[in-house]
Amino acid sequence: MKTLIKNARLACPASGLDESGSLFLEDGIIAAIGDVSEQADETVDAGGLIAAPGLIDLRVKTGEPGAEQKETLATASRAAVAGGVTSMVVMPDTDPVIDDVALVQFIANRGRETAKTRIYPAGALTKGLKGEAMAEIAMMSGSGAVFFTNGDLPVENASVLRRTMGYAASCKAIVSSRPNEHSLGVNGVMNAGAQAARMGLSGLPREAEWIGLGRDLLLAEATGCTLLVDQVSTGRSMEMIREARRRGVRLHVSVAAHHLFFNELDVGDYLTYCKVNPPFRREEDRQALIDALVAGEIDAVVSAHDPQPPEEKRLPFGEAAFGAAGLETALSALLALVQDERIGLLDALRPVTASPADIIGVPQGRLAVGAPADIILFDPNKPWLCEREDLRSRSLNSPFDGRRMVGRVNRTIIAGETVFER
Amino acid sequence: MAIPGYSYEFEHRHLLSIEDLSRLDIEHILDLSEEFAEATRAGHRPEPHLKNMTVINLFFENSTRTMSSFEIAAKRLGADVVSMPVAASSVKKGETLIDTAMTLNAMAPDAIVIRHSASGGVKLLSRKVDCAVINAGDGTHQHPTQGLLDTLTIRRAKGRIEGLKVTICGDILHSRVARSTTMALHLLGAEVTLCGPATLMPSGTDTWGAIRAISDFNEAIEGADVVMMLRLQLERMNGAYLPSQREYFRNFGLTAERLEHAAPDATVMHPGPMNRGVEIESAIADGERSVITEQVEMGVAVREAVLKLLSGRRR
Repeated sequence: MKTLIKNARLACPASGLDESGSLFLEDGIIAAIGDVSEQADETVDAGGLIAAPGLIDLRVKTGEPGAEQKETLATASRAAVAGGVTSMVVMPDTDPVIDDVALVQFIANRGRETAKTRIYPAGALTKGLKGEAMAEIAMMSGSGAVFFTNGDLPVENASVLRRTMGYAASCKAIVSSRPNEHSLGVNGVMNAGAQAARMGLSGLPREAEWIGLGRDLLLAEATGCTLLVDQVSTGRSMEMIREARRRGVRLHVSVAAHHLFFNELDVGDYLTYCKVNPPFRREEDRQALIDALVAGEIDAVVSAHDPQPPEEKRLPFGEAAFGAAGLETALSALLALVQDERIGLLDALRPVTASPADIIGVPQGRLAVGAPADIILFDPNKPWLCEREDLRSRSLNSPFDGRRMVGRVNRTIIAGETVFER
Repeated sequence: MAIPGYSYEFEHRHLLSIEDLSRLDIEHILDLSEEFAEATRAGHRPEPHLKNMTVINLFFENSTRTMSSFEIAAKRLGADVVSMPVAASSVKKGETLIDTAMTLNAMAPDAIVIRHSASGGVKLLSRKVDCAVINAGDGTHQHPTQGLLDTLTIRRAKGRIEGLKVTICGDILHSRVARSTTMALHLLGAEVTLCGPATLMPSGTDTWGAIRAISDFNEAIEGADVVMMLRLQLERMNGAYLPSQREYFRNFGLTAERLEHAAPDATVMHPGPMNRGVEIESAIADGERSVITEQVEMGVAVREAVLKLLSGRRR
């Protein structure tokens, strides 16, 4: 199968390419870039749309296995391709927990068999995610687990984390940890502060993130482990990360796309779709995260896709589940910043393409001859209204519901095959 | 309170939070409440404004006082009242809350009075029904009729609200009364000081309209025209928020000695139920400055006014 995409604006953060041209795809691989004159089976006239590498999302939760009513790999991938995501790393906090080789292989196989996107499993850091005994990190690594995480419940015991990080370092495995001191804000449901107090809701204080982050950074430094800091939500966390980088700590930082878009006031009248953890923080935090993104300090922008069915969200705010569906809206959330001229297109795309690809060591995420032909065509200026009923995820818990968005994917190609077209 | 050249209409369908009300709205409710209060004192039955109407009291949290107050208010106005104390155990949280709302809505009541343990729970329910909803307390968020009755009680005791120094002392963090009363008093021009131990004092009380939030009760009470003590849940005193009952009483209990520092004619209030000897000395609670029983009396009057204004309003 040979496909020619012509008349596109080619945008590749890895090479810095941003110019008009064509892409020639052959046998699932990018075979030629630029001025192409070869004969193709199929020619796609991009009509001036941007052709960029497909998005690589390092944090997706589905309900498979164990909670398929929320989402399966297949239904998540349907939403993903509509949002321009072509590779997803799925979290291990399922039922059962993905904490051994057979389960890692199960996820990889189910992904290949049922999902439209490429699926990469993340392995559990500790057995059953209990935070007590380390999981078989080396063997899971060998079977394709791309990093190791304790999911939404960070390892509480610092000694266990230290030993696990040290062990992971010896296996050259990456440890992902969501910085949080759980005991601060056990009943918390939104950012701690004046807004939470006024609404009579328990707070999740920013200090909890800083204390957890301080511990994680110090242990990464002590053990030499590569740390993926999962979903930074405050400006001060970025200061701590800068300090750690100066000290030579090996680390990557991710931010959820919705944290670049919302602040705590968006919780409004107890909107449970805006109940996420880490919570939407202050506007100054959101601005600091955008500044960090502009400065190239954010290695990965993730969707933090976490599908929750209506029965988990149509509840009083305090009782509703955390989590937001995000696969279909992450790109638009980034493009809103491009539209506002806060950040250039390539700098906005880097943390969803080349940079996460490099973290997990995959060849896609770039427009390069020989790279997998995972391509999206999108109009960065296309205005649209996000309505949850129109989303393709099995669960429709989107905080973007009712928002005016800009920038939308028209076509998604994975391994040279068109898997989505609008 | 007609002002020539202006017309005023109370335009809300629900009473969910003091935040939704303007100063005019509050004054309108207080004036109407006062009429009901005076009528009752004079031994008159009010007009049966709610004749042939059905009011449902839906209480997901135990409350004898507030539920009775609403029930009496509705009955005085001639409504048919169905009171449903729904023990927390018998209704599982979750979809059931919305299901309950939709079920009751199908019975076409003219007003539903709701108390729920979750902040925002009453608002959630109000979205699902076509009739008026009155918040009788939601979690640690709002208790608007309490805010209104406190304001009315003060206005009757002092003849005004504007410029009064009001000190509210106790567990501010968990108190929906503190939120509603502070906001109502602020809108009418009082200077509200909040006082309590740091562990029970939330941030951002300036956004409620409080002029200060301090932990020194002696300073907070200095020159106060009104001192309102809040109930302290005894389970807060097991070491998590406070070391002990006696230490709390020493620092934050209202005693005759402390009351000396308030204005000479200071009024003492408490939304009840009281923990005598924990937050307030019995002699003060029963003393001549106390208007605690009048608060209960004004509670019925305010609820009559609110029910009269809202019952029958539809989507």
